[in-house]
Amino acid sequence: MLSGEAIAKLESRLAQLLHDCDTIEAAVVSTLDGHMCTMRQQAQQYSLERLATMGSTLMSLGDTITAELNMGLCDNIISENQNGIVAFMHINNDLVLVTLTTQKNALGMLLSHSRRCAKEMAELL
Amino acid sequence: MSEIKLVFTGSVGAGKTTAIEIISEIPVIRTDVRATDSETAKRKEKTTVAMDYGELTLEDGQKLRLYGTPGQQRFDYMWRILVKGALGLIILVDNAGSDPIGDLARYVDNFRDFVSNNQMVVGVTRMDIASEPDMDFYHQYFAERGIALPIFPVDARSKTSVVMLIQSLIAMLEFS
Repeated sequence: MLSGEAIAKLESRLAQLLHDCDTIEAAVVSTLDGHMCTMRQQAQQYSLERLATMGSTLMSLGDTITAELNMGLCDNIISENQNGIVAFMHINNDLVLVTLTTQKNALGMLLSHSRRCAKEMAELL
Repeated sequence: MSEIKLVFTGSVGAGKTTAIEIISEIPVIRTDVRATDSETAKRKEKTTVAMDYGELTLEDGQKLRLYGTPGQQRFDYMWRILVKGALGLIILVDNAGSDPIGDLARYVDNFRDFVSNNQMVVGVTRMDIASEPDMDFYHQYFAERGIALPIFPVDARSKTSVVMLIQSLIAMLEFS
């Protein structure tokens, strides 16, 4: 598991993510085996514990599918839904970032801010 | 029946992935990642977070599609997804775990609805590591609770042992 110092760095970067892009309504960092590391949301409207675990499942399935097809590493998984978008992506080999928005036209913003956040989180660790 | 979907479930480290790997005729599709919590990590380096998948063709041409679930309760949504369309369920219980009877009770209870319409067998693994509780204890446990499920000692590393468990399940499906 991550040290307290590492989790504090991730919490700080998640706060910045939601400050910089207010269309992102919630964000979660979990380990690839499904443990919540930290989470942040604009309003306390979501139960995010399950999302952390599901994020690990989806990223692992993505990795397995891309390996099966010789497509290299899975960069991200996008779930476009009736009432919003959820994006899943690797931070590094052990951590997953999950972000979501209820604005269906905000995929670009969601991905660009989330990818930058994931990249910087990897550098922080 | 030309194709049958079977699901392996059960406690962490009971040997679900190992059992599928030992009998599958295709390279097993795995979704295992490094275990980060100490409880899992002290027992094994990696843990399944989505599913395992393998295939086995029986002598009569029936193809078995073999799915393995993650063991941890936090992945119980995958349990519900993976049993959809399955005809049979194999619960593996790690006899060397901290609470094998508790694990057994949890999985039997969780899949109670499934077993009311389908078939289920239980395999007790790692009895070479921990001989207690013994098979008599498991049989007595079931008898006291009115549970009528076949239960066998199994070595998940042994193809013969795992095939025996599957054949028992197939026989139950054919006569149900």
